[in-house]
Amino acid sequence: MNTKTCGASRRAVLAAGLALAASAITGEAAAQQPAEVKVGLLVPLSGIYSRPGQVMRMGAEMAVEHINAAGGIKALGGAKLKLVQIDAGDSTEKAKNAAQRMVAQEGDLVAASAAYLSSFTLAVTEVTERAHLPVLTLSYSDLITERGFKYVFQTSATAAAQAETALPEIMKLAEATSGERPKTVAIITDNTAASVASVKPMKERLLKQYGLELVVDETWTPPLADATPLVQRVRATRPDMLFFLPTVISDAKLLLEKMNEFGLAQARIPVISFGIAVAEPDLLKNMSPELLQGVMTVVGNWGSKGHEALIEELRNKYDEPWMTQNAISTYGDMWIIKEALELAGKADKEAVAEALRSMDLTSGPTKYFPGGRMKFDDKGRRVDASFTIVQWQDGLPVTVYPPDLAMAKAFWSKK
Amino acid sequence: MRQDRSLLAILVFAVVYAALSLTVTNSYYQLMMTLVLVWATMGLSWNLLSGYTGLVSFGHAAFFGLGAYTVALAQNYFGLSPWISIPIAAVLGGIAGLVVGLPTFRLRGHYFALAMLAYPLALLYVFEWLGYQEVSLPMERVHPAAYMQFSDGRIYTFIALVILVLVMLVTRRVERSRFGLALMAIKQNEAAADAAGIDTLGWKLRAIALSGMIAGGIGGFYAVVLLVVTPIAVFGMLVSAQALTVAMFGGVGTVWGPVIGALILIPVSETLHAELGAWVPGIQGVIYGCAIIAVMIAAPEGLFWTLRDRFFKRAPAAAAEAPPPSPENVVAWSAQRPRRTVGDEVILDVKGLSKSFGGLKAVQDVSFQVRKGMILGIIGPNGAGKTTVFNLLNGFLVPDTGEVLLNGRNIVGRKPHQLCAMGMGRTFQIMRPFQRMTVADNVLVGAFVKAATDEEARRLAADAIRRVGLADHADEIAGGLATRQLRLMEIARALAGQPEILLLDETLAGLGHGEVDDVIAVIRRLADEGTTIVIIEHTMQAMVRLVDHFLVLDHGAVLVDGEPEAVTRDPQVVEAYLGKKWGAYAHN
Repeated sequence: MNTKTCGASRRAVLAAGLALAASAITGEAAAQQPAEVKVGLLVPLSGIYSRPGQVMRMGAEMAVEHINAAGGIKALGGAKLKLVQIDAGDSTEKAKNAAQRMVAQEGDLVAASAAYLSSFTLAVTEVTERAHLPVLTLSYSDLITERGFKYVFQTSATAAAQAETALPEIMKLAEATSGERPKTVAIITDNTAASVASVKPMKERLLKQYGLELVVDETWTPPLADATPLVQRVRATRPDMLFFLPTVISDAKLLLEKMNEFGLAQARIPVISFGIAVAEPDLLKNMSPELLQGVMTVVGNWGSKGHEALIEELRNKYDEPWMTQNAISTYGDMWIIKEALELAGKADKEAVAEALRSMDLTSGPTKYFPGGRMKFDDKGRRVDASFTIVQWQDGLPVTVYPPDLAMAKAFWSKK
Repeated sequence: MRQDRSLLAILVFAVVYAALSLTVTNSYYQLMMTLVLVWATMGLSWNLLSGYTGLVSFGHAAFFGLGAYTVALAQNYFGLSPWISIPIAAVLGGIAGLVVGLPTFRLRGHYFALAMLAYPLALLYVFEWLGYQEVSLPMERVHPAAYMQFSDGRIYTFIALVILVLVMLVTRRVERSRFGLALMAIKQNEAAADAAGIDTLGWKLRAIALSGMIAGGIGGFYAVVLLVVTPIAVFGMLVSAQALTVAMFGGVGTVWGPVIGALILIPVSETLHAELGAWVPGIQGVIYGCAIIAVMIAAPEGLFWTLRDRFFKRAPAAAAEAPPPSPENVVAWSAQRPRRTVGDEVILDVKGLSKSFGGLKAVQDVSFQVRKGMILGIIGPNGAGKTTVFNLLNGFLVPDTGEVLLNGRNIVGRKPHQLCAMGMGRTFQIMRPFQRMTVADNVLVGAFVKAATDEEARRLAADAIRRVGLADHADEIAGGLATRQLRLMEIARALAGQPEILLLDETLAGLGHGEVDDVIAVIRRLADEGTTIVIIEHTMQAMVRLVDHFLVLDHGAVLVDGEPEAVTRDPQVVEAYLGKKWGAYAHN
């Protein structure tokens, strides 16, 4: 009995001593190395949306490497960024659970980037708003920044805003390259949230405003089983341009191939999409580049002029042939967070949120987003957020708008 | 006593869960604790319809989604608080249940399951078409509690716990009432249930309405928890599958099954997702799937039943085989058939009954009369149309021509359960005991048709059990009974409905020599007590000792109608269908 107590206390003393020694060592280490600042990345890493989620991760990882290599957060004594990755899964419930887990178990996060699909972003930000964690998102949905939230920052122009500002630019582009102003348009869209949000303002007023007659108006629910009736209607009406809004890559492939069968490919009827689906690398793996020639899409962001080094690095490191919005925007998000930390001067989520609200830059992270300014309005929308138009040219989707980012000139084929 | 204990178990569960949730401060674990309850409730909703009736629904997301959208849209467009809209969602879910049930209950088995699959898919497209791809519940900053918005996640857990306990109590009550017994009877054998006087469509509609109410209500609450409603999130296949999985995993047909299922599956799936999702994306699904497969192989009926069978198994029934009823009489009866006096009052009058299935004339112009207190034996070779006659008599089939008068009233075209209420009881050639229910509960199913209260039903059932001599076995599980006892139990079930006339379909089939005598003794005693009996059999030997009158069928038509002595001597009958041996037996 006696020896037992004695032994126990001896062990306790030993343990305490070791702990002391350990803390001394780590304390020393902490003093030598600047502290880490944790940044969250909550995107789908499993399930059907894992592919875009992984591309977002590539962008984030690259950015964190670059920021740390360039000396970390200077205002925090060169503190390094540390990326905390959380899988949003493949359903709204899982995304919300992941967000709850993130705020509950990663309490020292200062900001996060989330969550690809707009319905995931909506659910995730319900959680982060209540936890006062600032979240940057590339999702388009207008609803995200219409709820009066204070901790969500939308770097892309919203779907409605994109439609609103893109349509006149498309008209200009058509006039400039073909010499004619389009008069008729066909709209073929799937019924996902993003597509519907883009099409709705067009049908409600924009088409009328620009004197466009809607000759085909078709909606499908993914996955598309047969594109023949849709393409037949397009061929029968011969519109001056076709707005084609798929979300699923296989749908895009199906319709574009059918267009070719009907002799409408090579932009014989100019095809303009909204969103990233028609310019994903995966599309090129499944269909020949000739069929994509001339197809355009309006995207919130794209790896463009001035990003050549990044595009090159992404290709070498991750084998991604070009830089989609998912990569460049998430890359830029990390730089925005870095800038906010510099402004805040402390690794605190409230301070970072406040810095994001008051930020007004024309340099730094601004170059990773179209629009030329890094400022968020009361709703959390980026002021002057512009968009890019990307066109397939010789097997590569290149930026053709805005002019300062364009890597090639757009072409507009005639009927 | 048993009832008190199960009530206590629910209360203990609720208190422990509430106490546990009080200690949890991590908001993520709080959310998990809430979601476990949400899915347990959804599993119970599924269980109430599919678990008890056996009609598997792949479409419970329809009710769930309607509830979720009701709450989301009500708050967006009318500023209605979920406190009000969740009950509305429940009511709408119930109405949706009726609307879905009326056409879909015409289908059975796989066809029902497939048809149910269509509803949430259709609704998913409808809500997408309406433009509700994403609906978010507005954040209320002024009076959050009035809109069921709390910063403390534990309050959600408590609300969910209250809903779950309510649903558990409702389920438990259903399980123990004639409602539950009716559903269980439908699950075992819908035809038999119908014949036992159960209005199967009526009970099924009630079940789907109640089930829809629960799903609608919890769907509404889910919207409050998730705060964003999308068609995929609430009408998606995953929702229906989740309800089905937790119930199947935990055990169907019991209040505890879905609760156990949700308590295990939801945290496991989420933990796998959290721990492995960022490490090897997607591996969580593989492990989760394999784990479910492994458990289902080990416990195919669900965890609850498997554990109960292992740890709380009742003593096997066969150990204490009770002596057959009145052995001294049996000996006397089997020796020779005493002449019984039968009155002149005609209770059942069948006139010119015919039924064809396509080109096959199953029953052709069959006429006969059954007098009160009589035992009529219908014999004939296989395929002679005996069972078809029964099916025509008790309403499973509607005759092409002819009429059936029961106490002078034409009953053609009436439903089996209505006929049962009018005094037509029947048993089946193939026994379908309700395996997991006690003998008493099995018989009770048949008693409700005549009983106004559950009390009276229990009395009628006990009486019926006594009359067939199974009183000693009343509390045993039917699954453990021997064939003879099962036959007697089936008779008791029919008897419990106080039939005037009892149709017995091959009751003696599959019984050993001594067992036949036991059952014959019981049937004779029932006849002596005033029940009129019509019995089908193709074994002649036992019948000659039992019946007062024979009807011999062949190719759907009456061949001979007469006294046993006359029939067994009829050379046509003897040679063509029975063989000379039986004729000789009857002579003795």
